[in-house]
Amino acid sequence: MIFFRVLHAEMLKLKRTLAFRMVFVAPVLVVTLIFFILYEKKEFKPDFDLWDAVLKIALNSWAVFMMPLLITLETALLSGLEHGEKQWKHILALPVTRKSVYLVKLLTVHMLILISMTLLIVLAICVGLVFIKIRPALANTGMPPWGWILKHSAYVWLASWLIMAIHTWVSVRWASFAVTLGTGIAGTFFALFAASAKLGKFYPWLLPVNVFSDERLALALWIGIVGGVVATVLGCWDFVRRDVA
Amino acid sequence: MQKIAIETRGLTRRFGAQLAVNEVNLQVPEAAVYGFLGPNGAGKTTTIRMLLGLIRPNAGEVKLFGESFTDNRLKLLQRVGALVETPSLYPHLTGRENLEVTRRLLGAKRELIDRALGIVKLTADAHRRVREYSLGMRQRLSLALALLNNPDLLILDEPANGLDPAGIHEMRDLIRRLASEFGITIFLSSHLLSEVEQVANHIGIIHQGKLLFQGTLAELQAERHEHLTVGVTQPDQAAKCLTAAGWQVQHGEDGLLNVAATTREAAASINSLLVGQRLDVFHIAQAQASLEDIFLNLTNNSAEQEAAR
Repeated sequence: MIFFRVLHAEMLKLKRTLAFRMVFVAPVLVVTLIFFILYEKKEFKPDFDLWDAVLKIALNSWAVFMMPLLITLETALLSGLEHGEKQWKHILALPVTRKSVYLVKLLTVHMLILISMTLLIVLAICVGLVFIKIRPALANTGMPPWGWILKHSAYVWLASWLIMAIHTWVSVRWASFAVTLGTGIAGTFFALFAASAKLGKFYPWLLPVNVFSDERLALALWIGIVGGVVATVLGCWDFVRRDVA
Repeated sequence: MQKIAIETRGLTRRFGAQLAVNEVNLQVPEAAVYGFLGPNGAGKTTTIRMLLGLIRPNAGEVKLFGESFTDNRLKLLQRVGALVETPSLYPHLTGRENLEVTRRLLGAKRELIDRALGIVKLTADAHRRVREYSLGMRQRLSLALALLNNPDLLILDEPANGLDPAGIHEMRDLIRRLASEFGITIFLSSHLLSEVEQVANHIGIIHQGKLLFQGTLAELQAERHEHLTVGVTQPDQAAKCLTAAGWQVQHGEDGLLNVAATTREAAASINSLLVGQRLDVFHIAQAQASLEDIFLNLTNNSAEQEAAR
């Protein structure tokens, strides 16, 4: 019951926050980019697969770039709510367990990312439908590949468990916004180099995009989920035993 | 037998080599207003954090209402409200929403919000965002958060910090009202004796991590020593002369000498002695050490003992 009480309170804290607004801003940015890429394309070959183009650009750019940055920002902002006026000392002097406080922070990040990703897919499909209407060459495009969408969205989310757990830990552990943002930006930036390296398949910030490679899919899911659970347990253990300043 | 709200035994906390709290044994009776006094850095906040489980002691134990805090943390915190140092509020939420966050965390009834707002007189401003509040209003809202679960014990760490004189006055009235109307045990830390003595009936004085005094305000007042203050044109020479004659002398404020004596006869003897030495006496009066003096004596003695080690 304590867990649900803490979760209920966390939902109210999101009101009027940048953390909540960013859930909508991030997918809109990606979809706007897709819209302009397609809009600039004047000719479509007969074998052009609209859904493949729209959804692959959407989910790839989401997995490789936008989602890691969004996770960085969300964790920093959510923990910033408590670091700002040293709210930890107020919350943790209430009859709630520290474990529940930590896990709710992580769960909230998961929820926000899932909402954002759902919105991304809905908007990407809307963009596809708009182009079916405005480009006669695409008039015979069929229905979106629902199975592929569901499967790959779930893969991207599962593979991101590790970076969500790492960022939650870092943001709760250090009050400085710079530490959390620095970790996320460095992690995402080095992913560009790690992508071509052999060891790139183990790199946490590349796991969400690795799910689009048949070779790397299983490993990405395995490391994402197991690594996420391990990082969550370690972060929670650290939070429970720490002094509250 | 008097019931005890807070009891600590040998409570100790180190930060590296520094001993922040050194074997503190607190005894706070139920329904008391306990003033926990000490200069800045004395160990007050560290003690309070240990009472609330925010930091772990290196040694010793905490009991609230006769039960071990470690074994009954969640159950005991249901009965405690706390304001630790600065207000912990969400500036983007309204006053009422801040209370709602805490209400949800407590799982308390919704009507308690209006009650808490009423007690701290913030009902009219409850709809405003906290970032628009003055420091005094923020401090009152923090107190409302602490009162939300209708606590039996209220722990307030420097509640007057940063407030202007009107805010301090308001806070003092509120604390008095909480104790008298609601019978709440209040544990109040401060570095201002003048503040505490106006509301507290029990006092604990901590300095350099050690509890130097604990008792009722009356017991502390009994520590006041009467003495004679002597005004003389050459105080150093007069002090030597009086000391040679066997009087205990200390230099006091404004160039006056404090002599450990109280009777009229003693005053006459001192006067004769000084005049006989051709020293010009312009003032002799009976005086009583203020609580401030007792506090300073206790803390200074402790510092001197520490330095002598």
